[in-house]
Amino acid sequence: MQNRRRIVITALVFLLPTIVGTLIFRLIPIIWSFALSFYEWKVFDKAVFVGWKNYAHIFTSSISLDVFVNSAIFSVIYVAGSLALALVLAVVLNNGLRSSAFFRGAFFVPYITATVAIALAWRWIFSTRFGVLNNLLIALGVENPPAWLADPAWALPAVALVSIWKDVGFYMILLLAGLQTIDPTLYQAARVDGAGPIARFRKVTVPLLTRSLFFVLIIALVRSTQTFEITYALTNGGPNRASTTLAFFVYQKAFVDFEVGYAAALSYIMCVILGFLTLVSFYFRRKWVHE
Amino acid sequence: MQKFKLTTALMLCVTASPLLAQDIVLQYMSWDPSQLEVEQSTIEAFEESHPGVIVKAQAIPSNGGYWPKLTAQAASGDLPDVMMMSSGFVQEWAQAENLLDLSSLVSDDEWTNYYEGAASVGVVNGKRVAFPQNWVAPVLFYNIDMFEAAGIEVPNADWTWDDFLKAAHALTIDENDDGRPEIFGFSLYGRYAHIEPWVFRNGGRYLNDDLSALELNEEAINALQFLTDLVNVEGVAPKPQDMEGIRQQDIFPLGMAAMWVDGSWNIANSREIVGDQFQWGIAEVPRGPDATDETVASYAWADMLAVSATSEHPELAWELIQALAGEGVEADDFLGGKVPAYIPVAESEEWLETDQLPANKGVLLDIGASTIYAGFSPGWSAWRGYAASGSGGMNGELDEVFNGRKTLDDAVTAFVEFGNDVLSRQ
Repeated sequence: MQNRRRIVITALVFLLPTIVGTLIFRLIPIIWSFALSFYEWKVFDKAVFVGWKNYAHIFTSSISLDVFVNSAIFSVIYVAGSLALALVLAVVLNNGLRSSAFFRGAFFVPYITATVAIALAWRWIFSTRFGVLNNLLIALGVENPPAWLADPAWALPAVALVSIWKDVGFYMILLLAGLQTIDPTLYQAARVDGAGPIARFRKVTVPLLTRSLFFVLIIALVRSTQTFEITYALTNGGPNRASTTLAFFVYQKAFVDFEVGYAAALSYIMCVILGFLTLVSFYFRRKWVHE
Repeated sequence: MQKFKLTTALMLCVTASPLLAQDIVLQYMSWDPSQLEVEQSTIEAFEESHPGVIVKAQAIPSNGGYWPKLTAQAASGDLPDVMMMSSGFVQEWAQAENLLDLSSLVSDDEWTNYYEGAASVGVVNGKRVAFPQNWVAPVLFYNIDMFEAAGIEVPNADWTWDDFLKAAHALTIDENDDGRPEIFGFSLYGRYAHIEPWVFRNGGRYLNDDLSALELNEEAINALQFLTDLVNVEGVAPKPQDMEGIRQQDIFPLGMAAMWVDGSWNIANSREIVGDQFQWGIAEVPRGPDATDETVASYAWADMLAVSATSEHPELAWELIQALAGEGVEADDFLGGKVPAYIPVAESEEWLETDQLPANKGVLLDIGASTIYAGFSPGWSAWRGYAASGSGGMNGELDEVFNGRKTLDDAVTAFVEFGNDVLSRQ
């Protein structure tokens, strides 16, 4: 009995740093920020309890609702684009492309490059009058190429494109790892049965890669709601908030306008949406993921 | 036993002496690292003249976390004794009772040495809560070489908006006649430093008297219409979207626009980029046709120093402010277009820098002596669209107008609705 007690105490002692750290740096701030979402607080003044006012304002403000729509559009473009492109790149590299080690590294480099450096390069590419892209389009005969970062119709897709370009290497590596677990004899058997490249991809590769695809889907979904740095450096959320997504809006509210309670309420709404989407994804998992 | 007592007494003396002679530490927080470097000599002189006082100074750039850090310190009741305070935020900070009322400390005689107009924003509800260190004002930058090439006189104090428009037309050059001028007569965006100088010089105001709501008067609307027409009707200024990819403050110094209105702090950047490629000068923004002597105002505001309401050494803190903003300052402390709030230094030859461009920096002193209006209110950064909120608010809406995607009426309706929502939550 005494021995068992000693084991429990020893275990607790070893766990204590983690428990304390989790409490102080995770759980307490999470609970505190939820409480904060019911206050009006600029941090440098006194907090005033306002009940559900912050939440009510968020759901009735046309600006907040626009931000939710922007976030949804961004997530759709980002998740679909990242998944599709990462899959194509992974399959191409897995099928013995020459210098595949070089390309694997090349596709991964943007993921580990400083975001601000990337954004500066893309700002130059997207520049309306002096950018590489528009000068190329003009050379090809396009008379009035878009102002990519200053036109509300293009700014959000442009931010999504750069985000995909930056992250796709990471997703590609995950899928590549999944592809390399597929038994090559399955492809040989399919070939013997007369399956062509497309049929082999549809009937062998995709079904056996669904677990990796599901993992990438969840990761991409979460990352899509957290986009901040590229938006900040590329468009600052503009023009006229056209590329402002939820995470950037939370930053504006918390650290520029100092409406911390409002920002906390936005964060909890983001948390609920993300939790719901993840639950839905897990629910439908059984319908398409092969265990 | 006696030896033990003696030893104990000696040990107590040794250990207690640092406590008895403990230095007073004054905390000073600035948002300008380069300015803090030049202020070091003033701080050292202050420490020498105040034995036992140590000034612990730190600078965090305003776009690198100054406000979040200061805000967090306010929340924990640990504000620095002396801190830099922005004209845009001073009202909110004063209303939250974070700033000490300096009214009783500043004598009337002292004010005769300072530009009171630009610093008046430091008075909140009748209390002097921040003291000016330097001030800035938007001015009209002009390219002298382009004016000479076009055969027209450079701007002067009597210029009207018609004179400005005629010059802008003459200076807009479409070399290959493709409908896209290579050089524009003027350049503007929706930002505060581009727009407000025109609005206030036309007698326009955005806010009501108690700063609780946006109520644009007719003069303000007329000024906004004039600026809109420069882009969309007259074609003398580029659409902001066409210049995307170039920093707005580089358009004039790169020679892509002959005139430009922005804050005087851009003098430093313009000097650096222009070098000796062309001659340039500055002028006050022309007075608008709707302005009267009572309503016309220049747009200027001060960077200020404030004392924390919780400071344990308010008198010492005030003395440090006097050293940093008064007799202790030198012209070299103020870079480019920052005007020292202390008049004797601002009027010195060293600050006027007549051997550098612009050769007529004294224009700024004339602005400082005129009627000043700053137009700040609580929540200003949100409703005006400033810094990381710059894509929205009035800034975002006006850029849409200049880009030709929105009418001015629609934009005004949108930003007034948004602004009043922001103000109602202050």
